Amino acid sequence: MTPSVRVRLFATARLVIGRARLSWSVPEQGLSARELVAALEEAYPRLAPTLRVSRFLRNDHYLSDLGEALSPGDEFVVHPPYGGG
Amino acid sequence: MVVRLTRRPLTVAAAERWLTVGPGGGVVVFAGRVRPDRRGASKVVALDYEVDRVPALVQLRAIERTARQRFRARGLLLWHRLGRVRAGELAVVVGASCTHRAEAFEAARYLIDELKTTVPIWKEERGSPARQPPRRRARPGGQSVG
Repeated sequence: MTPSVRVRLFATARLVIGRARLSWSVPEQGLSARELVAALEEAYPRLAPTLRVSRFLRNDHYLSDLGEALSPGDEFVVHPPYGGG
Repeated sequence: MVVRLTRRPLTVAAAERWLTVGPGGGVVVFAGRVRPDRRGASKVVALDYEVDRVPALVQLRAIERTARQRFRARGLLLWHRLGRVRAGELAVVVGASCTHRAEAFEAARYLIDELKTTVPIWKEERGSPARQPPRRRARPGGQSVG
């Protein structure tokens, strides 16, 4: 099985691409959060404006450094701006 | 429960009961309702709320901890509805019980402001079907014209 990360999308991000979950292959040389965001922008150009204002989490923890490497099996989550209340 | 994410209706009465058990002299409850705003010919009839539950609960508890220290709160609550919330229903209730009113007002303001900007909850509007403009009667054998 190809090593991959699970991508979960909420709100606008989910609506733009019409899916709440994706599986994304991790290349041999590894994959940083920044590289994954860039790859998502390339694959889904309409998602780019949302990604630019989103927060990102890995395994339920906010990422402060998008240079962090993602490991196969990780869950990467896209949080567009919040709208509670 | 201080922090609650629920599909069940929220009431101010329940919040007041929760906050008046403790010794605080100033109790402030803020409730946010779904407004039946107009969107052109359509009207908002409900909001659908979704949450990323684990980070949302972590964040709500962090807000609670900070408020407890900053405002010396004796009691706090942060409650939010999930799923479909109809116009007129409460979507969010926050409250603070403090020794004096000034801290209670400030704490409640802090709770709702932080909740709206730092907790992963999103809403999507559900509208009534837009009313169609009345159809003009078509002329026999041709299109209706203005």
